[in-house]
Amino acid sequence: MSEKYRYIGKVTPRKDAADILTGRAKFLNDIKLADMLYGKVLRSPHPHALVKKVDKSKAKNLEGVRAVLSWEDVPNWKGGTPRRTRVLDRKVRFVGDAVALVAATSEEIAKEALRLIDVEYEVLPAVLDMEEALKPGAPQLYEEYPGNVVTPGVPFFGPKSLQEVVMGDVDKGFQEADVITEGTYSYENIPNPMPPEAPGAIALWEDPNKVTLWVSNQASYMDKVTLFHVFNREVEVRSIGGPCGGSYGSKFMSWQVQAHAVLLSRATKKPVKLCMTKEEHLAAFTLRPGSRMSAKVGMKKDGTVTAVSGRWLIDTGYYSMTTQSQVAVGCGEVQIMVRCANWNLKPTIVCTNRNASGIVRGFGGQELKCILIPLLSLAMEKLDIDPFEFLKKNYVKPGDGYFWRDGIWYTYRGVDYTEAMEKGAERFGWKEKWRGWLKPSLVNGTKRRGVGVGVHGNADIGEDASEAYVRLHPDGTAMITSCVTEHGTGQRSNFVKMVAEVLQVPLENVSLSPADSLITPYEFGPAGSRGTYAIGSAIISAAEDARRKLFELVAPKLEAAPEDLDTEDGVVFVKSDPQRKLPWKAMGIDRTCTGYGRFDPDYTLSNCMMSFVEVEVDMETGKVTLVRVVNATNAGQVIDPQGLEGQLNGCLGSAGIDSALFEETVIDPSTGHTLNANMIDYKWRTFSELPIIDNVVLETPFASHRFHAVGIGEVATSPGPSAILMAASNAVGAWLHEYPVTPERVLRVLGKVAPRAEKGGAA
Amino acid sequence: MRPFTHFNARTIKEACELLAEYDGKAVLNAGGTDLLSTLKEENLFEYPEALINIKKIAGLDDIIESRGTLRIGALTKLSSIVSSPLLNGRYPALAEAARTVATPQIRNAATIGGNLCQDVRCWYYRYPRHIGGPILCARKGKAPCLAVKGDNRYHAVMGGKKCFAVCPSDTAVALAALDGEIKIAGPEGQRKIAVTDFYNPMGNSLERGEMVTGIEVPSVAEQSRQAFLKFTLRKPVDFAIVSVACVLTVQNRVCTDARMALGAVAPGPVRASGAEKMLVGGPVDEEAAAAAGEAALAGAKPLSMNAYKIEIAKILVKRAILRNQEP
Repeated sequence: MSEKYRYIGKVTPRKDAADILTGRAKFLNDIKLADMLYGKVLRSPHPHALVKKVDKSKAKNLEGVRAVLSWEDVPNWKGGTPRRTRVLDRKVRFVGDAVALVAATSEEIAKEALRLIDVEYEVLPAVLDMEEALKPGAPQLYEEYPGNVVTPGVPFFGPKSLQEVVMGDVDKGFQEADVITEGTYSYENIPNPMPPEAPGAIALWEDPNKVTLWVSNQASYMDKVTLFHVFNREVEVRSIGGPCGGSYGSKFMSWQVQAHAVLLSRATKKPVKLCMTKEEHLAAFTLRPGSRMSAKVGMKKDGTVTAVSGRWLIDTGYYSMTTQSQVAVGCGEVQIMVRCANWNLKPTIVCTNRNASGIVRGFGGQELKCILIPLLSLAMEKLDIDPFEFLKKNYVKPGDGYFWRDGIWYTYRGVDYTEAMEKGAERFGWKEKWRGWLKPSLVNGTKRRGVGVGVHGNADIGEDASEAYVRLHPDGTAMITSCVTEHGTGQRSNFVKMVAEVLQVPLENVSLSPADSLITPYEFGPAGSRGTYAIGSAIISAAEDARRKLFELVAPKLEAAPEDLDTEDGVVFVKSDPQRKLPWKAMGIDRTCTGYGRFDPDYTLSNCMMSFVEVEVDMETGKVTLVRVVNATNAGQVIDPQGLEGQLNGCLGSAGIDSALFEETVIDPSTGHTLNANMIDYKWRTFSELPIIDNVVLETPFASHRFHAVGIGEVATSPGPSAILMAASNAVGAWLHEYPVTPERVLRVLGKVAPRAEKGGAA
Repeated sequence: MRPFTHFNARTIKEACELLAEYDGKAVLNAGGTDLLSTLKEENLFEYPEALINIKKIAGLDDIIESRGTLRIGALTKLSSIVSSPLLNGRYPALAEAARTVATPQIRNAATIGGNLCQDVRCWYYRYPRHIGGPILCARKGKAPCLAVKGDNRYHAVMGGKKCFAVCPSDTAVALAALDGEIKIAGPEGQRKIAVTDFYNPMGNSLERGEMVTGIEVPSVAEQSRQAFLKFTLRKPVDFAIVSVACVLTVQNRVCTDARMALGAVAPGPVRASGAEKMLVGGPVDEEAAAAAGEAALAGAKPLSMNAYKIEIAKILVKRAILRNQEP
């Protein structure tokens, strides 16, 4: 299909590739400003305590120390939804919570100063488990959240923001079911998506109320917006984004580290750099939410789901900034995955004394599916339904609908993904490998193989707003002004491709502005899966608008109507008579020509990813090894084949498939310490253990934008984890229901190791 | 990193004198692959006052076999052990153990002396100071072991006392099965100690002013068959959940000598003497191997979360023995 395009769908070099490979790219920690100070954070040793007294005198006297701040010294700035979490508080709520901030002339001095701060705590009882936190008499994290239940709803999503899935009549639905299964499932290993670059910020304060921030984030314009609210709408924030060393959703928001840098700069009037260590990144930066559900599903023999009813508990750790959004989107996504007329799914977001949860790719939907698919699987087993057929049948089809995050019903108008799913199954060999529930596909001595399948999709491809300008210059070049930062996917290069295609100019003639909120219009950022459709639409519109304005300027000189003109390589010509032409400089050499584009949210399209996995289980040691993955999708017109492949191959790490195999954050059940906050004990996959990954990508045109693309965005990680549980269960011949499927858990279901209590209680 | 005094020791004597002078407040630095990260994370309870670089001491990086003894200098790089034709030919269990350590880059810097002396990986003990740490514990001499009540999935299933951390060294396990001895120099001169006696639950047997200078291994029987197996959650860059080294001599299908050591199950490598006795004099088959696995773990007593290690260890013993079978 890409023959008709000059760049779209073609392999082209990424604009930033050479700079990254040669070390020229300046990541946040490479930036050094004159007189810059270094910030460090003193962190709480207790999961829950009142800060009675902070003696800063010794630290302040250390040579090179410029500021030492604790809660008494700072304004009442607050984050969270609703805003209840102070940037520095007199109460600490997890092991690692910020107690004091230091700015000094070197990192070493700042660290040394931390040792000299004496803090007196009144230790409070802590609670680390959701159900314990909900019990009467449990320790209370916030006065504002009685029972540790976080206020539901997302003001940003509008007055009806989705808080649950309730529709139809579940009693009637269960009566119609041929089988009803129920149980409690959890996905609570709270993995860290672990971008290579740890979060950080540089802040430069200007009295009385201005601050400039250099950030390393996925959505740098939103840093300005978020911090504006955190700072009580009293501070003018400018955010400058640069290359971001990975995010996977998590660095969409770094408001705490940014606010800490701002407070230190405000106190010292100097630029302050504050970069987390890898240990802080793992122990004190946001994690995936914990997810647990006690639910009941009804199913008919033909795979129709007649009812879903249950209580979904979401552990947000010590605060929530976005967990309500994740619940809203998760509730929307689950309707895309499984058609059902009768729902009564009630979420409750709970605070506990551990590190906070925040954004991680999969955004609520992965958390919900990882616990719903195992329950649906029980019903499928009883009815002997092939899970591939079930997922294919129940995925959203054109004309179906769903309540999206704003609580409004939308009718899906995208392509039918059935063909992509079938092609994926064919590539994987699903029919040959599927032997029925709890049956291995292959037995070879002590090794057994099993297969599993999962699906995920998200109507966030058209979420939120984007704006952009495209400016044409007389010399035939163009510049995009947009607040998109490069967070690793190559999207900045892809937007250049889109504009070069619209304007028909060489790629090297199109540049992109820095992501500086002072100069760019509004941009929500490449969050969720919105880069290709939402941001792409705004940028394409801006290019089209600029092109139209150019034609209006040049048309009189060509004695033609603007609509009769076209352009190629910096030359405007009359379509019917290409010899009548003028270069772009005909617009006037003292002129530029700027187009504006905007995208308004559209929730009627969704992407889709189906993942097939094959695992091998060592029945003696319990070790589960991923052998093969096939990802199947339909992305519409492919913009960038290599970037797409990278996104699809990203299914393993970043808290994806591997969160079912070995990725997990381990927290001591009584003291609340994160025990594996290092790169050895936090297990992550290295390149020497990559399985075979096959990607099946169809390119059916979508009614999205000029290029009929939707991309793939964030969804590659999400179908995999539940598929791994399914595959391992089939290999072993018994249900494995806990994430990750460690050797211990496998040996337990095999009866080789005695069971033990799984959940930690209150301290 | 915090400030410390740095010394370049040129001789063993100089290094030992500095160690004695600082009386526990100095540490030796060879490859530095573990030490430097502990200094950065400041997870040691007492930050050292001095670092003594021993890389400049000459003559401690040879691998020599003569008069019935294999000698390896303490500063021998793990990568040299991995690639040594002598070790791969005659002591493959040791070469294989070294091969399973960390990554090629780390093996290029890390030494066998450092691998034997590295501190335990217990995640309570190593908890980073700057995240509300350090965590006090028995090993730091200040509090009880938190792993007993806490998350002990990687901790000891035998031999723990006060501290339940396991010895993280892979080469120690192979050396234990090879009857290896550790050579130690100190103010009182030189001494040797069996690898299996080197470790105790709270550390190792180095006294004030002492350092490891090398390893000695008695020659193995020409026909011995060796294996080293390591069970990890991921292949590279991971410490053992369980490891097993096995040295068997089989003549006319009868086992005439069996030496086997278990790793990562105790404060040091543990010889599976029950299993060894059971094997000697009998055939080496599936049944005998499985029985040896049971015997090797007969004394094991799991903590709350690590019973699975016992099951894996039994299987690893069985597999290590069978790997020695004639094809």
